[in-house]
Amino acid sequence: MAMKALDIYKLLPKTNCKKCGFPTCLAFAMKLASGKVDVDLCPDLDEQTRELLGGATRPPIRLVGIGAGERSFAVGEEFVLYRHERTFYHQPGLMMQVADTWPGERIERIMTRVRDETFHRVGEDLSVDGIAFRCESGDADQFGGVVGMVEACASLPEVVIADDPEAQAAALAHCGNFQPLIHAACADTVEAMCDLARKYGCALAVRAGDLEELKRLVGLCRDRGIENLMLDPAPATLRDFLVRSVEIRRRAVERTDPDLGYPVVFDTVPIDLPDAATALGILKYAGVIIIDELAPSSTMAALTLRQNIYTDPQKPIQVTPGLYPVNAPTGSAPVLMTVNFSLTYFTLLGYLEAAGIPCYLFIVDTEGMSVLTAVAGGKLTETVVADAIKKTDLENRVDHRILIIPGYAAPLSGKIEEETGWEVRVGPRDAAEIGEYLETGWEA
Amino acid sequence: MSEEHNPEQGNRILEVSLGATTAEGGTRERVYTVGGAGTFPFLGAGPAAGHPPRIALEICDDTRTWSPIVLREVGDLAGDTGAWAAAAETTFGADMVRLFFTSTRQRGFDDFASLGTTMEEVIGATKYPLIVEGSTEPGIDSEVYRRIGEAAEGERILLGTAEADRYRSVAASALAYGHALVAQTPIDINLAKQLNILLHETGLPPERIVIDPYTGTLGYGFEYSYSVMERIRSVALQGDADLARPMISSAIDSLNVKEVREADPETADEVAIRWEFYAAFSALVAGAEIVCVRHPGTVALLREALPALQEGSHPQEEAYGDESA
Amino acid sequence: MTPIDESLISGRERLDEEMAALEGSIGYDETAYALPVTYAVTGMAVHDAGSAREAYAASGSSVLVAGECLAAAGYAAGGEEGEPYTGFVPDTVLRRLGYSLVDGSIAGIGLVAGSPDDADAAAAICREMQEKYLLTFLAGGVIQTLTEAGVKVGLEYRLVPLGSTGMAAIHFADIIARVAMMFGGVQPGDADRLLNYAAERAKAFVIAFPGLEDEEIAVIDGLRVLSIPILTPEGYEGGEWIRVPYLDAVREGMERRGIRVNVVAIPIPMACSPAFEGKSIRKEEMYVEFGGAKAPAFELLRVRPADEVEDGRVEVIGPEVGDLEEGSAVPLAILVDVAGASMKKDYEPVLERRIHTFLNYGEGSWHVAQRDLVWVRLTKDVVRRGVAIADLGRLLASKFRMEFPDLIDAVQVTLVTDRERVEAMLEEARAIYDERDERIAGMKDEDVGTYYSCTLCQTFAPNHVCIITPERPALCGAITWLDAKIAYEIAPAGANQPVEKGELIDPVLGQFEGVNRFVKKASHGAVDRVSLYGMMDEPMTCCGCFECIATILPEVNGIMIVNRDYLGDTPLGMTFSTLAGTIGGGAQTPGFVGISKGYILSDRFLQAENGIERVVWMPSLLKDELKGRLEEKLERMSIPELFDKIADETVAVSIEDLAEFLARVDHPALAMRPLI
Repeated sequence: MAMKALDIYKLLPKTNCKKCGFPTCLAFAMKLASGKVDVDLCPDLDEQTRELLGGATRPPIRLVGIGAGERSFAVGEEFVLYRHERTFYHQPGLMMQVADTWPGERIERIMTRVRDETFHRVGEDLSVDGIAFRCESGDADQFGGVVGMVEACASLPEVVIADDPEAQAAALAHCGNFQPLIHAACADTVEAMCDLARKYGCALAVRAGDLEELKRLVGLCRDRGIENLMLDPAPATLRDFLVRSVEIRRRAVERTDPDLGYPVVFDTVPIDLPDAATALGILKYAGVIIIDELAPSSTMAALTLRQNIYTDPQKPIQVTPGLYPVNAPTGSAPVLMTVNFSLTYFTLLGYLEAAGIPCYLFIVDTEGMSVLTAVAGGKLTETVVADAIKKTDLENRVDHRILIIPGYAAPLSGKIEEETGWEVRVGPRDAAEIGEYLETGWEA
Repeated sequence: MSEEHNPEQGNRILEVSLGATTAEGGTRERVYTVGGAGTFPFLGAGPAAGHPPRIALEICDDTRTWSPIVLREVGDLAGDTGAWAAAAETTFGADMVRLFFTSTRQRGFDDFASLGTTMEEVIGATKYPLIVEGSTEPGIDSEVYRRIGEAAEGERILLGTAEADRYRSVAASALAYGHALVAQTPIDINLAKQLNILLHETGLPPERIVIDPYTGTLGYGFEYSYSVMERIRSVALQGDADLARPMISSAIDSLNVKEVREADPETADEVAIRWEFYAAFSALVAGAEIVCVRHPGTVALLREALPALQEGSHPQEEAYGDESA
Repeated sequence: MTPIDESLISGRERLDEEMAALEGSIGYDETAYALPVTYAVTGMAVHDAGSAREAYAASGSSVLVAGECLAAAGYAAGGEEGEPYTGFVPDTVLRRLGYSLVDGSIAGIGLVAGSPDDADAAAAICREMQEKYLLTFLAGGVIQTLTEAGVKVGLEYRLVPLGSTGMAAIHFADIIARVAMMFGGVQPGDADRLLNYAAERAKAFVIAFPGLEDEEIAVIDGLRVLSIPILTPEGYEGGEWIRVPYLDAVREGMERRGIRVNVVAIPIPMACSPAFEGKSIRKEEMYVEFGGAKAPAFELLRVRPADEVEDGRVEVIGPEVGDLEEGSAVPLAILVDVAGASMKKDYEPVLERRIHTFLNYGEGSWHVAQRDLVWVRLTKDVVRRGVAIADLGRLLASKFRMEFPDLIDAVQVTLVTDRERVEAMLEEARAIYDERDERIAGMKDEDVGTYYSCTLCQTFAPNHVCIITPERPALCGAITWLDAKIAYEIAPAGANQPVEKGELIDPVLGQFEGVNRFVKKASHGAVDRVSLYGMMDEPMTCCGCFECIATILPEVNGIMIVNRDYLGDTPLGMTFSTLAGTIGGGAQTPGFVGISKGYILSDRFLQAENGIERVVWMPSLLKDELKGRLEEKLERMSIPELFDKIADETVAVSIEDLAEFLARVDHPALAMRPLI
């Protein structure tokens, strides 16, 4: 069970010594309670208390890093089953597979795509995260050769998929120093795989279709000092994955089964429903998703879904304030002011683009609040608007002085006029009506 | 592996039946029951799995605002609402048609007689239950929903869409002509409850209501749509009867987003299908009992994926045993 | 004068006799409900005289069943009346009618029966019913009277001529019975549900004119069992029929059945929309202004008995706009009188605040401030277009009816521009303001049995439930107990719900059995119990909107309060926003609680932790804001020195400095029982 801040505080030294980096023990307790810091930061706890607090406050799912360098990522450290309960923190890595039996040009094409292909959305560059090497030849040298070839041209996070420890060893000889994920140890190979994981200090996935067997493998790895683990529940169908991944996450976040407190790997290739499996992995707790070569239409949709699902529901996505031209406007085009709450922005943008009317979308900073809440909460005021006009140099961008504000901001119209000297027109409350409004109501 | 966890044994999503056979006063060859689940989607086995979700293909009676990608794909069908509807069931493999009377959304619409004619045509051309969407303009709602409801009397169509500030005509039509309705309440689950209460006051029984909590498509606020569905399912399973209703999800603006509109014509179909698929599939995982799409290719992709998710979730099939425990 | 009681006796006898004499087959075409009233009451589908008598007996000799069997026998015998009479209304037409009733395009239905002596009176009643969106059925001589007076009848005119005799009134009953079965899920034979349905939902009344035969009187009187009031302007005495002057009949009927017409348009020559809410009217644009320190002005909304409020009446006392020179400043009293069955005096101030909003909706009208500080302007532009002072009254009357349809039945507005009268009334108004203030200020939690919830924030804090009491406003500071109460009355399905306190579990913590039950349900099971007056044990959850956060400072055994506007560091070592991020989202966090500023001044303020005396630190901004009221409170508690003992950021930002300061001033918290 998770502990509340006050209960944690009672167990701390209450010296406000600041050695943990926080000004008071209570502030440290608050951070511990939310799982944002580690109990080890307090040097003055006895072993028993440290263990108790660690168990209660450490993230129920271990953080596991994959890859080295700027594309590296970490997964795990999740706390909830549903994103509305708090948020999901570490989005899964999508790893596109290459098999060692494939022709060189095919491997190279995939490697190049993973390395170079990005989509830009809402201020973020989205791309597939890395490469998964699959040993299909059964030949350690051939496998090692392919890994070495890719390794020479790209520094990407990697998964090494081979059941044979020898093939693993051959691949790791090329990439082992860059924190790849070793996939996967099963009952027969656990010992050898652990040795490799220890040798290269990288993460190891254990694989079993049965939860008890998974836990047993985890135990064996831990006995060998390997803590950086991931779980592959070996699904044969979408439903297998759903049921098993949900169960693993539930037991982990309820802290009823610490042996399951590791991120999950989802190898979607055997399932042969690439889009459905990728989507399911994103939605249902996968930390690493191994995918076949998906077309850009699929990866774009998948990465967008991932971006949506890993948005913090308590912190609305904010759009960068500024002036956004829509449908190639000229200086005489209407200026539509609204807030920087992403949903407002997207909805309005969608209708404007659909209406095809050239205009400027003028986004002011309301800390991501919607129009209604920003007006009520004093985040949208005449000074905010006046400042934004200055910052965006709006006066020099358009050759008129008419500002259209959202219907729900109507109470501010007079104040905005006074403060800015711009003529204010009140637009509709509902974004759906904006097209009609601009067609009929905007003409000066 | 142990079976899924269900701490709230007993609470179930209300079942809603759509369509009526000849014996029941309609002309449908199939009747669908949606809802009934007692767990999160696809986790249950036996009766707790509920009824299988349904895939609807959306069509319209006035194609002026419809996605050009879809229009290109369906070709001449777009000019013949009846044929389009028939093809949805036969050629494209949808479980049902969702007909949008987009004609009513043109400014100054007054050809009310055409609604009855088109409705009858689509009823004649199809065999499965129907979803029908009317006007969105309070000034003509009364006339529109009466015409549609009357023309489809006895067919137990799913009629949309009731909202908190304009639900009366839809509810009246459902009551008068024996249909079910879609109640839409964006984002807020309390608003969803509120609309349910208002609908209850009109006398509409709860087993004739499907809720639509949709707010935005993939990349454009989809996270709200997804989470509000999960929340609704979650409080429903905890015993909140107001929200224990089947959900319908249609990412209606999927094909209007920049990514799809501006896609290279060569790959536009693929992009459109993927954009619809990822949203619709996620809606299924979040708890939608009916998902609606517009591109026939998306129906095919969903058709393919569903069986892999719902093994054993069909109560008519043999109860799915505890898979590995 | 026809004596009802006697007519009923003889009417019943006649019906009995006719039922006994009934022969042959009986039935209507074009319905799936046989003889609808009989079918609904008894579950029996009558088809001949024998089954009719059986059903009549089964119904306990219901006059409606008798009337229906006799009418249907007439049809079967080919006695159907032709044009213009509709007779029995077929199911298909009825379905449309039911549709319009649910849809709201028909507000209710009325039956006008008998043969009026005065054609104008009958015509006036029908016209009023048309104007009020009622569908009117006619039975008896009234139809001829109307057509002779040139009134057009027919479904398209919403005047449906059922038949030439009063017996056609039975069709009014079969319509209600079928609506109940079609729309209300009433099963045939379930007479109790039929009666319940009619009592709850039948928006119907009867107006009876003279000239009805005894059996017709009996059948119409039988409608009362369906909760249909029978109003009569002339010709009858005794019985349960309600006598009303004919001018009041429609209003009375509507009121008795709660039939309301939604006002949709505001009849003034000026646009009126929320879009105009924020515009200002500059001096150059202004034609006339009222109040604003240049002339006395005030506004006052009062709840009055229904018979003292004439709905829609607007009166201007004193000069109208045409009598005023451009640019003048004029006194004004805005007197709004409202009536409504569920109106309460407590609502006055809340509704009065809406005058401001509504007047600002006018394209050329502008309003600031409240009570006796109001300032109103009208633009030259709209005055040129014909807007007069009276139009402000019309605007208010319409908007109040539109926005509060369930609360307000009638509104009248008086606008006084006569200086002497305004000045005279001003004193009176001020006395009322004072009285209101005292009443609200003095309201205690124990004075009420019901608190209110607020779940508006569940959008982002899914399990958060705010409990609002008279002494503890919502933690956002925006909703008082009274606001929540009225919000509930106006929108009973909304985010503010009544919470019965239930049994008191702990008077100090402020735990109530009913509150706990409510919170458990509304938090979807996430929260079992809440203490309304404490922060250490099961405090209220926090959404994220709180005006302030109160947290314990265990080192000094005190409580610190930090408000949203304070951006600096606190002795806890966390800023407001970091703290807010840690405790928000709908969680219960002992030792930390989100509160409104208003609650700090309440006697209930964290009483479980010794209340205000435990407070050791708050930002100077907050301290200044509360200064007057807080000093007053401390004075009352005989601890005026406490104010200066509460530290702020100017004397201590670190916990060490705070401890030193508190020791120096000997803060009472230091000597209290330990918080932990």
